[in-house]
Amino acid sequence: MTHLPVDELRQRRLAELADLRRQGPKVIGWFYPGAPVELVRAAGATPVRLARGGYAAETRGLRWLRADACPFVLSTLGNFELDPLFRLVDAVLTVNTCDTMRRAGEAIAHEFDLPVFELYLPRTSEPLPHRVAEFERQLGRLADELAAFTSQTVTEERLRAEMAREAHTRGLVTELDALRGEDKPQVSETDVLDMLALAGLLEPEELDRTYRTYGPDRADAQAKPRLLLAGSIIAEQDRWLVEAIEERADIVADSFVPADTEAPAAATALESLAAYHFRRIPDITRRPNGRTVELLARRARERRAQAVLYKTLLYCDPWNFEVPRIRAALGLPLLHLDGNYSDENRGQVQTRVEAFLESLEK
Amino acid sequence: MVVPDLSFDGWAEKFASLPDELMAQHYYYRAQQARLGRVEPWSYYMFPPQTFALYGAKHLKRLSFDSSLAALRMWGFVQNETERLYRARQLGMKVVATMGDLGAVPVLVNAFPGCVPFYPDCTWWTPFVQESKVLFDAATRLGIGDATCYSRAALGAFAKHSYFPDPDLVVASTGASCDDYSGVEQLAAGIAAETLWVESPWRKGCATCGTGFAVEPGTREFLSAEYRRVVERLGRLTGHKPTDADLLAAIRKTNLVRSKTGRLRDYGYVQAALPALEMMVVEFGCLHYYADIDEWTNILDDLLRTCEQRVRNGERVAAEDALRVVWITPPADPLFLCHFEKRGARIVGTEYVINQALVPIAERGRPLDALAGSFLQASLIGSSRERADLAVTQARERGAEGAVISGILGGSHCAMESHLIAGRVKEALGLPVLQFDVPEPAREVNQQLGTRIDAFLEVLAGRRSQTGQTSRTRRTSPTGIP
Repeated sequence: MTHLPVDELRQRRLAELADLRRQGPKVIGWFYPGAPVELVRAAGATPVRLARGGYAAETRGLRWLRADACPFVLSTLGNFELDPLFRLVDAVLTVNTCDTMRRAGEAIAHEFDLPVFELYLPRTSEPLPHRVAEFERQLGRLADELAAFTSQTVTEERLRAEMAREAHTRGLVTELDALRGEDKPQVSETDVLDMLALAGLLEPEELDRTYRTYGPDRADAQAKPRLLLAGSIIAEQDRWLVEAIEERADIVADSFVPADTEAPAAATALESLAAYHFRRIPDITRRPNGRTVELLARRARERRAQAVLYKTLLYCDPWNFEVPRIRAALGLPLLHLDGNYSDENRGQVQTRVEAFLESLEK
Repeated sequence: MVVPDLSFDGWAEKFASLPDELMAQHYYYRAQQARLGRVEPWSYYMFPPQTFALYGAKHLKRLSFDSSLAALRMWGFVQNETERLYRARQLGMKVVATMGDLGAVPVLVNAFPGCVPFYPDCTWWTPFVQESKVLFDAATRLGIGDATCYSRAALGAFAKHSYFPDPDLVVASTGASCDDYSGVEQLAAGIAAETLWVESPWRKGCATCGTGFAVEPGTREFLSAEYRRVVERLGRLTGHKPTDADLLAAIRKTNLVRSKTGRLRDYGYVQAALPALEMMVVEFGCLHYYADIDEWTNILDDLLRTCEQRVRNGERVAAEDALRVVWITPPADPLFLCHFEKRGARIVGTEYVINQALVPIAERGRPLDALAGSFLQASLIGSSRERADLAVTQARERGAEGAVISGILGGSHCAMESHLIAGRVKEALGLPVLQFDVPEPAREVNQQLGTRIDAFLEVLAGRRSQTGQTSRTRRTSPTGIP
């Protein structure tokens, strides 16, 4: 288990960001993995991940979207009124991870009058040269837009440096994740999610220092049922479920940690960045999505997972639709939990989880 | 004078009076059969409505129809499509399922002799027409349950292997499209023999520009490269390599359908010469021409003649003082269109998510670029604001008094854009907007929704009486039809 002081670091970072903005540099919010934060940094802005969730925010989001919109997107809109981190950003960067995220930018721009940078990533996943080239063109366009916003040109050298920093951050996450492969895992899903949350908040060097200081040290780990956690985004305020599970089981793999950390070598930094993000998995929303399903099956096998906990958000079609397919591909018992950020059914969910874990122990 | 509509029974009576010779004039796959030197009786399609009801289309009993022979011919053709696709297979044609893009890829399929395109997407109407949840249940078993767009019926149809022939090839477009149908495509790919994925690009950073959307440079060429893959794959399927002239010929045929549809839209929505239900069928004919573009073109000509005659005779299908509304997103249950008309409204404009199938395709330049250019006018690949403006433009031109947005619970684009579109219509025109979700298949409009619709129409009537306006519909349509 790590002892990452997430709340303390968040508070400190909020103050830093507020100071930073007063000095001039822009703060740009982003949401889903796949946002090229390297470009944001190379343009002289500070990226922060906005992935808080929360029921109060979800309810607030109903002012602008229908109740059958994705709870994450609803809460994201709501958090622009409720969450101090959201209120610190000068602009947001959206990627068409799914259709709701593609449309979220328009809603944010319309309701909060914030500049929105929209990045188009082809949804077809076969890395055909013209598709990767199109994505590279879109990244170039984004670089120009960011440069116009920050008044700082994205240079080749600067982008390469930021890509290296980001690769290091991803490396830390995967390093931590790999420790879950042991028979008695020294780290938990909570640790990994904390690390991902901090990776979206801190500067890479600060994250590195934090990791080295508070890294895994659990010596008294006990073997428990081993689970793979897959599904929709787990927002920061939706972590109670993970913590409840980990009282009785070890989550040894998930669908959140990136498969690769390093961008492939290429003639230009932008080309390399395009190649990396185009092929990035896990990403269930791309078509065809067989590589992601295979990745999850491989992770389950390599980490010796005994079952799958599949957590989806209401109306999250990309993950919801895949339940039978992933169940078949992984060949493991699977518990599907579908819900929003409401805490009204927590007791019921916990009972289902306990019953599921008991069934594994039999 | 208002032309009376026709009930299911009225249609049956009318059919009984039709001479056999008339029915023998109407058959499909004319060119293919001409090559064989015969006309197979199975290719006649003017059946009595009982035939369709017997084969499951029970909802026909609840709908109201246009009474013209042209419209009944159209219904026969449309209802006959499933059989037609199986007959295509029987004739040795390649059956290509095109999914997701609603209008572009069939143009390419039609450039290949002996190929017939169809959209499994259109089975979203089937549960409503059949008043059956069989296809939804089949989709649920495969992972797509309730609270999802009704397009999930397409997955059920793939699984059932009986609503259309198993396609020789599936061309699945995805990208800037709804999550629901993208998910349907992914799961259908697990059932289909082969799926070719095609990207539908996100139209970004475009400002509304006259009657079309400005498109970011490079996007058209990117999409063109996607279409080149489709052409290559169809070439391998058929052993035919089309020239640019072949592709252009297919575009011209398509444009003919689109221009006739445009004229019918003017007749229907401006002059009230056709009811909304038939107009929806006409508009959706631009997707894949109900699997026979030549015969569909003939049917459109027949409908145009009917409309011309009605206008000449001063006939309309709705009262002069009917309340004018624009309709946004097609209703999965067609009964709603009839219901609105019965309650004193008429549809004067639509945004049925198929703008890309209605706009003309350029007949100059490289054919694939031209097709890509037309697809980039698509309803759903840009912003909600752009889509709203498609409706706003029609509403403004035709003096609409209200707007209706019919949605689907759980449909990703409905959830995200309905409020934005409603807001835009209110902001631009100050019109009342009714938003509702089409409920699951049923025999009638449920009471709660009926009350909401009545209240909405009362609001429109009240506003009209305050302003003293009755008919603000332009007498001259954009295409110049008097």
